[in-house]
Amino acid sequence: MSNTMDGIDFAAIVDKERASKQRNWLALTAAVIISAVWVVPFYYLAISIFKTTEEYSLNHPLSLPSGLAPVVENAVTAWTHAKMGAGLWNSALYGFLGAGIAVFIAALAAYGLSRIDFKRKNLWFMLIFSGTIFPLQMYLIPLFFFYQKVGILNTHFGMVLFYSAICIPFPVLVLRNYMNGIPRDMDEAARMDGASEFTIFRRIVLPNCWGPITATFLLQFTWIWNDLLFSTVLANRAEVRSIMNALQVFQGSYSSTGPNVVLTAAVIASAPSIMMFMLLRKHFMEGMRVSGS
Amino acid sequence: MTSNGQNPSDQEILDRIGWSQIRANERKLQRKNFWVAFAFMLPAILLVSSLLLAPVAFNVYLSFTKWAKFKGIDQFAGIANYVRLGTNPFFADALYNTSIWVVASIVFPLAIGLALAVFLRGVPFENLFKNIIFIPRILAPTAVGVLWFYVYAPDGVVNRFLGFVTGGDVDIGWLYQENTVTPAIIATFVWQSVGLVMVLILLGLSAIPRDPIEAARIDGASSGQVFRHIVLPLLLPTLLVVTILSVLAGFTVFDLLWVMGASYPGQRTLSLAVFMYFEAFQKGSWAFGSAIAVIIGIVVFSVTWIQAVLQHRVDRMMR
Repeated sequence: MSNTMDGIDFAAIVDKERASKQRNWLALTAAVIISAVWVVPFYYLAISIFKTTEEYSLNHPLSLPSGLAPVVENAVTAWTHAKMGAGLWNSALYGFLGAGIAVFIAALAAYGLSRIDFKRKNLWFMLIFSGTIFPLQMYLIPLFFFYQKVGILNTHFGMVLFYSAICIPFPVLVLRNYMNGIPRDMDEAARMDGASEFTIFRRIVLPNCWGPITATFLLQFTWIWNDLLFSTVLANRAEVRSIMNALQVFQGSYSSTGPNVVLTAAVIASAPSIMMFMLLRKHFMEGMRVSGS
Repeated sequence: MTSNGQNPSDQEILDRIGWSQIRANERKLQRKNFWVAFAFMLPAILLVSSLLLAPVAFNVYLSFTKWAKFKGIDQFAGIANYVRLGTNPFFADALYNTSIWVVASIVFPLAIGLALAVFLRGVPFENLFKNIIFIPRILAPTAVGVLWFYVYAPDGVVNRFLGFVTGGDVDIGWLYQENTVTPAIIATFVWQSVGLVMVLILLGLSAIPRDPIEAARIDGASSGQVFRHIVLPLLLPTLLVVTILSVLAGFTVFDLLWVMGASYPGQRTLSLAVFMYFEAFQKGSWAFGSAIAVIIGIVVFSVTWIQAVLQHRVDRMMR
């Protein structure tokens, strides 16, 4: 033991450690500089909402605000001019109902595609999944025409209906794969005892799928919340407008209101989805994982 | 399995166990199963086919008609709408900008995401930096567009920074000029989406086995060699998935262009998606708009097809 200790060159180890520490410092400095590209815009956003319009236009964009009070007035102006109350309510309605209905219907379809034996399953799966392979632009004109004809253009019902449809295919893919992996002996036992298929779905399969159901619900909810295209085309009246649409219209038509107010509106519009992300981070990451690979 | 004297016992056995009965039952069960499964799939099939598939089919049909806003679909136009695309001056510009988007959204997210992933591994406070870069991904593109609209303003942060570096006054109208508007919006797109690319690449990196890397190190390979000959090939499937995700997101982007391009006079030329919106919903040329949508669809399918071919090659290589 002592022999090997003698053979170690301590000076060299110290040197090596110092070199690696220096490299760490260098890397840290580089990382700080790189992350400034992300930090500075957020810093700019954070301080701008605390400035009055006059303060904003006179000072350097990165200067600290003189007080915190103006944010209240900015928020009130944004809230009333952009009709953000209605926007938030509409988006919450579209998000919860659209994503909720879609994931429930997708779970039903996934049950049929994974737990029941019949021929040409893949064909039926492809029929449902093919709803999501087209670019969104291909739906727009026919939907607009059809909605106008039926009279559901600019209605809550029309928006929930469309969002429910477009959010079905992806959860079907995820939930089908997941349900294929759940062991089948419980279903068989329940079937022997005369349980109906729907009972098996509701009592046995569904409780085992809460993880992927939550993950896909969150992904679809965020998609609906963030969507601008369909809400611009299918619901462009103030009463049915989604929050992102309200924000875009506000930025376009009220450019006479200062950037500080519009930026405050952007923060209000994003706050709910950021809060949801913070609260349910684990499920979001699960969702990112299933959608990325 | 006919029994013509050679093996009479087979038929006898089949008869004894009632084979035909079993098969009939089996078939009946399959049929019953199908209808049960169909009942479960029915809501999905109804919604998807009526609100997604039927519109796509109708869109393709429309692109061959002369339909406009206040006129019925009275006349069949053949390929006239597509011919019109060729002579429309905005279409050429929109197509050009869209192809820039395709190339940029292949190159930049991948190159920057990979560089960030490799560089940030092992840096002190690694997770903090990763989270900072990932945060914009949570925000809606509309909100990000609004934020960067003001960051790019003539007296905004970007110009102030350039002025600080050069020591003079810089007032470039990033979002007002033809030669800067597309690169500026692409930069915002990359700013927002590179976080996810980085996280996915990091996931791929952590799945690479350590053994071949250690073995190469012991044999005296430099870290550059290890990266090029071991890490990169093993990372290829991840890189492929990431590229396809960002290219599809990149050239169908609408929100950023709609918000950030609002002050640009030639907004309709920013991409095919924006051009289509202008033609269909502001000018009311629905048939012409459908033709543009079909072109976008063709581009999407070619990209998906190339991806499938590449995926197949990579899968074969990995085996």
